[in-house]
Amino acid sequence: MKVTIDKWIGVSTWHWNHAQDEVCGICRVAFDGTCPTCKYPGDDCPLIIGECKHAFHMHCLLKWLTTESSKGLCPMCRRRFKTATE
Amino acid sequence: MIGGFTKRLGRELNDLKNNPAVGISVFQANDFRIWLIDIKVMDDNPIYAGKTFRLQFRFASSYPIEAPEVQFVASYGIEIPVHPHIYSNGHICLDVLGSGWSPVQTVASVAMSIQSMLAGNDRNERPPDDARYVAHAPISPKNTRFVYHDDTV
Repeated sequence: MKVTIDKWIGVSTWHWNHAQDEVCGICRVAFDGTCPTCKYPGDDCPLIIGECKHAFHMHCLLKWLTTESSKGLCPMCRRRFKTATE
Repeated sequence: MIGGFTKRLGRELNDLKNNPAVGISVFQANDFRIWLIDIKVMDDNPIYAGKTFRLQFRFASSYPIEAPEVQFVASYGIEIPVHPHIYSNGHICLDVLGSGWSPVQTVASVAMSIQSMLAGNDRNERPPDDARYVAHAPISPKNTRFVYHDDTV
């Protein structure tokens, strides 16, 4: 049998490559979803991972870190939050 | 609520109703501004045995970036628990409600902290400065700058 392909549609899925806790501890929405202010997940609403390995939606974490009361600490372990370089 | 964190409070409410921690129950949560949460101390601490206490949580639009305002409220048959860190007007001196707040805390985790603060207490007394504090206390406990001086109780 000979088949001729007229047309094909590619479909793919994606997933942030971060296995720990599946939801952002700040907004409680899945990492693969968005922070409360974004509409589209993915590169528009990225994750941020600290040297302490704790991850959040970047926008959620920045809301926290810009408050004075955060004292620059990770919400999970209360160590100074430094973005992991790798 | 600005910032769209109502979704998170909605999830918290579902969790509190569907998978409640032992001794913690929602008495009233009709909106995302004020919730009343009832707590019981589960061990047989004689100071609190058989009693139910009521916590009031008040959420600003900045929750959970900012801590909720949490205090005990009295009602018919419901007293303010006696504890060296709980004032007779219901204000609670507990670091997670102030400088120790983190946005990963939840209503449930705060209620559990307070529950264990009661469970571990063996002093049937009010804070030493209760009368003075209550006479001049701001309406919101968040406007008090508590000094967390004693972690042993």
